[in-house]
Amino acid sequence: MKRLLRNPSLAIGGTIVLTIVVLAVLAPWVTAYQLEDMDMRNRFSLPSAEHWLGTDNFGRDLWTRLLYGARISIGVAVVSVGLAAIIGTLVGLAAGYFGGLFDLIVMRIVDVFLGFPPLIMALTVVAALGPGVTNLMIALTAVFWTEYARVVRAITLSQREIDYVAAAQAVGASWARILVVHILPNCLGPITVLATLGIGTAIVAESGLSFLGIGVEPPTPTWGWTLSYGMRFLRADPWMSTVAGLCIMLTVLGFNLFGDGLRDLLDPRRITSGRRGRRGAIAE
Amino acid sequence: MIPMLFGIIVLVFLMLNVIGGDQALVLLGQEGTPEQLEALRRELLLDQPLTVQFAAYIGKLAQGDLGYSLFQSQSVLEAVGGRLGATLELAIVALLIAILIGVPLGILAAVRHGRASDIFAMLFAQLGISMPVFWMGILLMFLFAVTLDWLPAIGRGEPLLVAIVDLFRGNPSVLLDSLSHLALPAITLGVGAAAIISRLVRSAMLDTLSLDFVRTAHAKGLGPARVTLAHVLRNALLPVVSMIGLRFGALLGGAVLTEGIFGWPGLGQLSVAAINQRDIPLIQGVVLTFALMFALVNLIVDLAYAAIDPRIRYD
Amino acid sequence: MLHILYCGAAIAALSVGFAAAPTMAQNGDGAVTIGADVDAGTLDPRVMRDTTAYRVANLLYDGLVELSPTLEATPGLAESWENPEPTVWVFTLRDGATFHDGTPVTAADVVYTFETILDPELASRWRTLFTPISEIVAADDNTVRITLSEPYAPLLSYLDIGIVPANLVEGGTDIGTQPVGSGPFMLASWERGSTITLEPNPNWWAGEPSVAGIDFIVVPDNTARAQAFEAGDLDLIQSPLSPADIQRLADESDIVADIMGGLGVTYLNFNTQDPLLSDPQMRRALAMLVDQETIVEAIYEGVDVVASSVLLPSWPAYSPDIQQPTFDPDGAVAILEQLGWSDSDGDGTLDMDGVPLTLTLSTHSEDPNRIQAVEYIQNVMRGAGIDAQVSISDWPSFSGSVQNSQHQVALLGWLNLVDPDRLLYGQLHSGGALNWGGYANPTLDGALDRGRTTLDPEGRAAAYQEAAEIIADEVPYYIISYQGYQVFHTPEIEGYEPNPRGMMRSLMDN
Repeated sequence: MKRLLRNPSLAIGGTIVLTIVVLAVLAPWVTAYQLEDMDMRNRFSLPSAEHWLGTDNFGRDLWTRLLYGARISIGVAVVSVGLAAIIGTLVGLAAGYFGGLFDLIVMRIVDVFLGFPPLIMALTVVAALGPGVTNLMIALTAVFWTEYARVVRAITLSQREIDYVAAAQAVGASWARILVVHILPNCLGPITVLATLGIGTAIVAESGLSFLGIGVEPPTPTWGWTLSYGMRFLRADPWMSTVAGLCIMLTVLGFNLFGDGLRDLLDPRRITSGRRGRRGAIAE
Repeated sequence: MIPMLFGIIVLVFLMLNVIGGDQALVLLGQEGTPEQLEALRRELLLDQPLTVQFAAYIGKLAQGDLGYSLFQSQSVLEAVGGRLGATLELAIVALLIAILIGVPLGILAAVRHGRASDIFAMLFAQLGISMPVFWMGILLMFLFAVTLDWLPAIGRGEPLLVAIVDLFRGNPSVLLDSLSHLALPAITLGVGAAAIISRLVRSAMLDTLSLDFVRTAHAKGLGPARVTLAHVLRNALLPVVSMIGLRFGALLGGAVLTEGIFGWPGLGQLSVAAINQRDIPLIQGVVLTFALMFALVNLIVDLAYAAIDPRIRYD
Repeated sequence: MLHILYCGAAIAALSVGFAAAPTMAQNGDGAVTIGADVDAGTLDPRVMRDTTAYRVANLLYDGLVELSPTLEATPGLAESWENPEPTVWVFTLRDGATFHDGTPVTAADVVYTFETILDPELASRWRTLFTPISEIVAADDNTVRITLSEPYAPLLSYLDIGIVPANLVEGGTDIGTQPVGSGPFMLASWERGSTITLEPNPNWWAGEPSVAGIDFIVVPDNTARAQAFEAGDLDLIQSPLSPADIQRLADESDIVADIMGGLGVTYLNFNTQDPLLSDPQMRRALAMLVDQETIVEAIYEGVDVVASSVLLPSWPAYSPDIQQPTFDPDGAVAILEQLGWSDSDGDGTLDMDGVPLTLTLSTHSEDPNRIQAVEYIQNVMRGAGIDAQVSISDWPSFSGSVQNSQHQVALLGWLNLVDPDRLLYGQLHSGGALNWGGYANPTLDGALDRGRTTLDPEGRAAAYQEAAEIIADEVPYYIISYQGYQVFHTPEIEGYEPNPRGMMRSLMDN
């Protein structure tokens, strides 16, 4: 508890994230409206006692839309970042541990993905697979996984040189055991930090894809859609886009603060600086 | 680099194979008849198996031919070459803005660690990271172009290089016009990167400030200002330089959205159009160009790294 | 909102430092700047594809005829024409018309233009408009003779397509990027993705335009384009625009606004081959769940008009008496019940024999208004107990699925409907190449054939009215709205006459 107090980022970020997640989970109980209740005579209304955050372009309650939107937007971000972390970790562990030709090939593939500008990668994947929650998650995973592969590989390489791994090898421990027992635990900290920060990036990325019209299909209430739709009415009714934009910003802020705090907590020395940090790419 | 480029070509081909709709469909539009579609597909080899299309593309590429974009009525080389300058100009100026804002802000935050200016600086950084770039673009345009009428909302002036040449010929108005057009898109694109840089500089400075050699410098009697600049900054710049390499791709990605909003005639707009039109040679050309730029920037970053960090030598 | 709109060259010249020089000073030459949503892909009129290309090509090239704002054919390169028999048209070219490179426009160029359009090799999307042409010959240097396989009433409306210089094109000049026409403007420069700069043609047969030039500037985002206009960077913007911006701009006192009926429709395409949708009663019921009023008023903010039938108000054949089904949810549910659909398991969704009533509405992702319209229709359908789904993909994927008849109900549009034939023959004739919904009705075929081959205007109108009655009754197409056309410009532009197709020739003498 004391450590938590000395780490305001973690406390504030954690509180923001926790609040939003709890609200999203409890969505049906904290709003009197159904997600799809339209009221075309009451479009773009400002906040009031009935509509706490006003209404959107179909007269739907914005508070409700954003609550349910949190489920989609955060859900998509968490799943895609999680998948990216798992795939990246497996690839990174294998590449770092086995080295040789396998490592070479894997790192060339990583280079291929890195050379692809992220948004263009996501655009192409969505164009290829079509829109929808699942495909959006695949697109974001394809963008994010390389980051984890590189970090985990770098850590694996350094751990492999350390005596206790050599000792474990000497006593005949299987490679799987060495990877899981000795090397993986050293990766978990950095991965957790990266993933927490990555969730914010993924939420912003989803909004960018929605702006280009290729995010999750309506009427699914993602924040990106609410913001992009709202921007069409920016001048006459700026409220809708403002509240959606602030909602995105607050959530990303929460995850970033939380990630910063986690980093301080898990690795007070940080791994950002120095040559290894560059390969580690923990840059943000 | 060659394996990377080859890998990208293969990846694009694979992705485009499962894509819905094709070039012929977009070229002929709603009015195209099934017979016309079939004929055009034959002509474009779209009716051939993927391997045949791939071999045809690689065969041409080996002769240095990137193909022809039917949509742009230009060769891919011309189409990409015509846009490359605009995107590079935007990305580089955005990066400069990011460094000019980010580095001083990071230093300020580190030096004043824990005080109000630190907190404000980091709050700015958080906002810069969390604000969707297209939203910021539209709002900046509304503020500076529509309401205040200080800057043009859209378009590009003369290329910066041309404008600078004009400046030396005694004609500064061209440069001012170019810069005024650049201002909004470059700021929009640069703010996010500035935020990331300021965070990095801050944390790297804080790390270095606590290291031994700084204490040694203090002990040698060097004043605090000299310590900060000469020793600490040099070390703090390392992660910034490496970040620029890794983030350059993301910057180019951000250009896709920014260019569309500000009518900036660069590769970002072109790539969206190419994907929306299923213009396979053009998509290949644009992605390859992006990848080449990315590789080149990272090469420069590696060299810069060696120049800044005395411990690294590429012999 | 405090802003100075359009300062003009004088004030701009005074503005110092970093302040932007608005439009005219920016170019320094008094050119009119027009906002465009896309860059032109090609400026070859035979293969042009996008609205920017239509509008620019219209300034660069002359057609045999020119269409007036009321869609009548007026003399263009052809100073006169006659129709000695129903299947023969003879055009007499005017003297003194030259291409921008100085060579005279001859009958051979006209023949070449249409022969290449008809050649499948060129892959022209305009080919279907001219397929009834069986022969086109140059009788002499100034006379073109077109022979048709059958009488083809809409022909004249399509002959405004630009004539290209045969020798130059044959010689290998790519007029797609280096256009050479005979029109009032010439291409000065074209910065791809950004600006198309036109300058007046001093040798134009009707006299050199007095405007200093016309620049088309590409700004893809609708909201950004409207803002750029307000900021003074653009002198004129036009459809497509965001409806929210249209209302606001129309209310500004220092902006000239023209909002008029356009030549397009937004409609629902029913796949009549789909087992669920093969019954006209079913299609009627679904059409009765489309709340046109709300879509037009709320989503299109009143800039489009509620449609009553497939006939556009600007066509001579239009009749207000022909009425397709109107919004009536109770009526729709009653029909569905007659058809056997009821909520037997109480889950809120209609079902029959244990199968729920599921339907997919699709449209494309490029148009936010269409997405909203689909979203709204879906909401109403769900309220009526239909498990409606939405599918939104980008244009190539969407049009691919529709053109291969893989859709159920698709929301899309047709543009440039200068003649009823253009909206109906290919689309709803049983042999039509664009009949993606697979609709087949011999009576309708007869009416459409008559409309196409009857040259007498009253006979044509009657044929299309009969066709419209059938379509309103059987609903293979449900027209949601007649699209509006909007143009906004600064008061400094004078004498400009808006044209529902977005053509800009009247800017000539600004």
